[in-house]
This record gives sequence, C-alpha cells and structure tokens, in this order.
Amino acid sequence: MTGLARQCVRQGNPPSRRALLKGALAGAASLAFHTNASAEDVAFKFGLTPVFLSNDLELLGHLQTFLSSKLGGPVELVTRRTYQEITALLVSGEIHSAWICGYPYVQFKANLDLVATPVWLGRPLYQSYLIASADCVVEDWTGLKGDVHAFSDPDSNSGFLVTRTLLAKNKLLPEAFFSRNFFTYGHRNVVRAVAAGLAQSGSVDGYVYEVMRQTEPDLIRQTRIVRQSEWLGFPPVASPKSLASDVRVKALQQALVSMKDDTEGKKVLDLLRLDGFLATAPSLFDTIAAEVEIVRQFG
Amino acid sequence: MTMIRRLRSVPVTYRVPAIVALLMVVISAVISEHVLDRLSRTQEGYLNGLAETYLDGLSSAVIPSVLRGDVWEVFDALDRSKSSYAALSPVETVVTGSDGRILAATDPTRMATFSQLPDSYLSRYGPGVVTIDESALTGFAKRDLIYQGQPVGTIHATFDVSRLFAERREILFTLLVTNGLLAVLFSLGGFLIVRQMIAPMRVLENHMRSAAHGAAEPISPGEIPAGDSEVAGLFRGYNTLVHAERERANFAMQLAEEEKLSSLGRLASGMAHEINNPLGGLFNALDTLKTHGETPGVRDTSISLIERGLAGIRDVVEAALATYRPERSQRPLSADDLNDVRLLLKPELRRKRQRLDWHIVWNELRELPIRGGPVRQAVLNLLLNASTITPDGGSISLKADGSGNHLKIEIGDQGPGIPADIAGILVDSDPGPAVRAGRGLGLWMVRRVVDDLGGSVAIAAKRDGGTTVTLTIPFERESTKAYAA
Repeated sequence: MTGLARQCVRQGNPPSRRALLKGALAGAASLAFHTNASAEDVAFKFGLTPVFLSNDLELLGHLQTFLSSKLGGPVELVTRRTYQEITALLVSGEIHSAWICGYPYVQFKANLDLVATPVWLGRPLYQSYLIASADCVVEDWTGLKGDVHAFSDPDSNSGFLVTRTLLAKNKLLPEAFFSRNFFTYGHRNVVRAVAAGLAQSGSVDGYVYEVMRQTEPDLIRQTRIVRQSEWLGFPPVASPKSLASDVRVKALQQALVSMKDDTEGKKVLDLLRLDGFLATAPSLFDTIAAEVEIVRQFG
Repeated sequence: MTMIRRLRSVPVTYRVPAIVALLMVVISAVISEHVLDRLSRTQEGYLNGLAETYLDGLSSAVIPSVLRGDVWEVFDALDRSKSSYAALSPVETVVTGSDGRILAATDPTRMATFSQLPDSYLSRYGPGVVTIDESALTGFAKRDLIYQGQPVGTIHATFDVSRLFAERREILFTLLVTNGLLAVLFSLGGFLIVRQMIAPMRVLENHMRSAAHGAAEPISPGEIPAGDSEVAGLFRGYNTLVHAERERANFAMQLAEEEKLSSLGRLASGMAHEINNPLGGLFNALDTLKTHGETPGVRDTSISLIERGLAGIRDVVEAALATYRPERSQRPLSADDLNDVRLLLKPELRRKRQRLDWHIVWNELRELPIRGGPVRQAVLNLLLNASTITPDGGSISLKADGSGNHLKIEIGDQGPGIPADIAGILVDSDPGPAVRAGRGLGLWMVRRVVDDLGGSVAIAAKRDGGTTVTLTIPFERESTKAYAA
C-alpha cells in the first residue's frame, strides 16, 4: 500500500485522473480486504515502461478499461520514470505483469515469463535508430563521433544497448566515441532533445520514432535517421515466474492475444499503431541476448 | 520683452486660443510625464514580480535535476516553462551547474550544453531584480540555486520587454493624440467664444471708425444684445454720446448760422446806411432836376451827382455780392478783394467812429494764387471782431503783405485781448474743445478758412495795448507755377 502512495508522488508521467482515481479505489479496496481476501481480490498491477508512448493519457484510460473488463477485476496501471524501476518491481513480484523492454527481459529471463509480444507492421519485431538533427550531414554513424549524444534509458535495448553494441563491435565505448552523453528516460524525449539541439544525436526506438512521424510530424521533421539497426524482438509483456500460477496472468495473455478482436482493445491498438499481440517463444530475443554478450565481452 | 510685445500685438481672438493651446501643451506634458513615470514604475514592479515567480517556479523544478546533473530534466523543465510563463515572454533561459558550465538552455543550439557560460552573462546584471537593456528591449534576471545552503547552480533568464515599451509608446501616443485633440478643441472653443465675446466690440469699433470719418451713427437697437447687460450698457453709452455729439454739432451749426446772420445783419444795416446816405442827395438832385432841369448847369451838376450816388450804391452792392456769392469765392485773391472788405466795413467804422489804418504791400502780380473768397470772409470776420472789441473812437489796423511767396495779413485792435480759451480756437492744434463750448464761432469760421488754405494763425499782444492777429497763408503750388509761367 505504501507502494501505491509512492506511485502517485514519484510517477514521472502522471496517469489520467480516472486512472488515479481507479488506482486509489483499488488501493483502498485492497487495504480493506487485505487480511482475508484471496489473491484475486487484490488489484492486478500492470507496469508500463517509457517504451510505451507514456504521454498519451487517453491511451491509459482505454487500456485500463480493456484490462479490467478482460481480467474481471480491478486493474492498476503502474508507471515509473525508468525501465529499471519497473523491472525491479516486476522481478520482485511487486507487480503482476509489465510491458518491459527486450533488454531487461533478456537480463532477467530466468525470473520472467513471456506473456505476449506486440505485433508491429505484421511482425513482433522492431528496429533501433541512430538519429541526428535534420541539418546534420554525415555519411554514416561514424560521423557522429564527438557528438553530445542522447540515450533513452540504460535498460533500453533500442535506446541504449543497440548503440552500445555497435560501438563495442567497433571496439569503442560511448564515453570515448561521444564527447558527452546523457539519458532522457523516454524515446520521445530523445527525439525532442535532438530536435531542439540539446544533443547532436540520439539512440531511439524505431517503433516510437515511426509512430511519432504520424503523431508529431513537425518534431520528426527536425531530425533524420543516420542508421537503422537489424530487426530485433519487440519489447514484450512479461510476468514474474513466481506468479505463473495466477490465473489472471493467463487471462492477461488471452486478453492481449485477442485484443484486436475487442472494441476497447482495438482502440488501444489503434492508438499504439500496433497490429495486435502474439504469444512468442523466448528465442525471439536471442539477438538481443547476443548483443548483451558482445557488450559484456568488450567490457 | 519683444516677444511679449509681439504677443500683445496679436488680436485677442487668436491670442486666447493660442494661450489655451499652450497651456494644454504644458498640462499634457506634465500629465504625460507623470503617467509614464507611474506606468514605468508599475511595469517594473509587475515585471519584477513575474520574474521572481518565474525564477521561483523554475528553481524549485530544476534544483533536483541540477544536483544530479540531469541535462534532460533541466532542459525539459525549461522547455515546459516557456508555455507556462507566456506573460513574461522569456526569450532565453540558461541553467548552469556549480562549475559555471551550461547544463541546459532553452535554445541549446545557441548555448550548447556542457559549454562554459560567456562572461557577458555574468556582467550584465544590475542591482534590481530585473535589469533592463532599453536598446535591445530585453530584461535580464538571475537566480542562484541554493541547496542546503550550498550554491549548486544558477539560472540566467532573458526576457523580451518590448511589449512594455510598446505599451509605453502606445500610452504616450494615446496621451499625445487625446491631449492634442483636446488642445485643438479648446483652442477652437476659445476662438469661437472670444470671437462671440468681442463681436459687439467690432460693432462698436466700426461705428467709431465711421464716426472718425464724420458719420457718427448710433448703434441700432437690433444690434444691442438683450442678454449681455455689460455690452448693452456700453452700446447705450455710445449711443448717448453720439446723440449728445449730434445735438452739440447741430447747436454749433445753428450758432454759426446765427453768427453769420448777425454779422450779415450788421453789414446789411451798414449797407442800408451806405445806400441811404446818397439816397437823400439823389432825391434832392431829382427835385432840383424837376424844378430847375431846364437850366443846363444845374442839370449837369444834378445828373453828375446822381451818377456818383448810384456808382457808390453799385460799389457797395457789388462788394456784398462778391463776399456772399460762393461762385465768386474761387477766384484768385486780388487787392480789390481787400478793398471790398474795407468798403463793407466802412458803415460799421463810421457808426463807432473808429479809424482804420490800412497798409497793403502787393507784389507785381495783380492777383495772388490764393482763393479770394475765403480770405475776404476771414479778413472781414476778423476786422468786424476787432471793431467790436475796440472802444468807440478807437482805431483798428490791417497790414497785408503779399510780396513774398506767401500772404501775411496782420489785423490789430485796441481791445482788452482775446481770452485764452477763445484764442485756442485760432491757434490750438485741436480747436474742438473751445468750439464745443459754443463760443467764438466767428473765429472758428476764420480757423476753418485758414486750415482749408493750409495757413496758420498767430496771436500777439501789442505793446501799446490791444492785440494783433496774424494770418499767414501760403500760395497754392500749382497756381504758383501757373502764375510763374
């Protein structure tokens, strides 16, 4: 319950009033029935990382409505500023499920079950982009040497690991290749930082970038893509292995996979520009695991 | 002084509006100065308040991020504050860390993150909250970020204050236009009111001007404003003056006429005498003719007697006609004119047993280039006057000298002297006051003749008692030439 109170204060991007109200109600309910309530009576806590377009409060409302109806009970959406906070909550079983990044999934594979993976452009895959400001003239990524570089999050695959791996493959460290680098803790923030000139280049989620091309074309127009990575496993929804017995996790998987057939679910997918969710094998994230390995070996 | 004198020479119709306009300009200058001063202080207070609020809000938002050196969070806070503080129009805000390096600026392309803050930013602040650079229309403010008593960084903010100056300009413009319009309106109003006020004065002025040219007309009742008692009083006063003047002029004319008639009467009686004297002789001669007409000697003597008697009568009648017939008055003066006067005067002299000393020096010309009629009239009047005031059995004199380029006539008497006020009629530059007193109308006629002929009069007391009146009459120019030719 203290976690709930903290959530309201520490949220990097506050959810809608409705979400807050529902969260508070759910919290109050769980407080009242804590002693003799079964596990199902406790609100289902669903974590969201900044991979997700966290500035869209409308989306949060639809998602909560959809999940509540499918899981047949209260659902609490938990957001945090960093990937790390959500990952820590998930791995420790504080939350029932979360939409995390492929990188922390690979890191904590032993403690996590894959629930479902989003499908974008027909495949559960996405890319990482290296972007620079629109007026920047460079042949390829090596031209970005000496830049002030904006990363998204140290636990993000597309916003950090992919670039880190690229540099490691070339025997380079971010600190040596870039003059300075900083984290914006959000893919959209990376685009903003590069567009504003705060950073000369940035590492960003290709999916977020492409969706922003439709939702915020003016911002995207101020940037250009310098390099696109290979296709990698899309950030998945995972749950802790410790909660594998919770029926609601199974129900969640069912709900996500069938989301495209549901009216409320369709709204969520439309807002996210996703085709739907798939139950995928962990092997989808082997390429990311390989990257982790390269970085680890380089040091 | 000359400025004031020049201003005074401007008609009051224009002077009053000009003074009103000038006053309005002064008042508007004072008011504008006060308003702008007050406005500028209000704006300063407002700007300071806004800047304080901005810096307060921003510092509480960025201190945690500055402590962590979180470039993005600082930038994000700055970026969001742009829209939150639109009223302040922040142009640029820079946040530096404790080492003076830039953490983030609202425009990172201008002020790159991690670079050193230019020295100009450190030296641009004055003592107040907001320092204003009027030439660049910008304001500057800074706030040190203090965390647990330690400085962790600084916010440097630049605001666009052009709106404040535009507002001042706009208000100044409004003041100028309003006050200008008021000045014009007041001046116009002043012009109309003053013109309205002095319109009766114009009426009075016009009447006085025409009065100066001899036609003093009273102001018609229709022109006397009913409501304005002061002006009405003035007009009525003027009308009273005109009426009094007219009456006096009529009276003077009447007197002059009576004077003329009286002198005419005296002359006529004298003439009657002059005619009557030979008549007795003539009748005697006729009786003699009737009785002794056959006697050639007696007849011739009687006829001769009758002829001389009739010639005497003819001379008297001709002299009188010459004096009183205006058509003859334009002829040039000749010695005969003066002799006619002597002839006309003779009965009066005889009546009073007075002697006339007659001395005339004439030049070679028979006629002088002076109109004869008026001179005869003037000399006759003066001689009649002299005779009147000279005791019976006394003597009067006439000396005329026409030998130079002017005619000088001296008339002497043995009277007690001419009183000063009556003498004024002849010698003062303005004979008006003496004439208006209704006295010395005979002398006034003399004066008019002398003025008409461009001459002058002098009065002197004689050593042996009595007075000499001297007329000096210049020859007429054109006539002089004509005679010279």
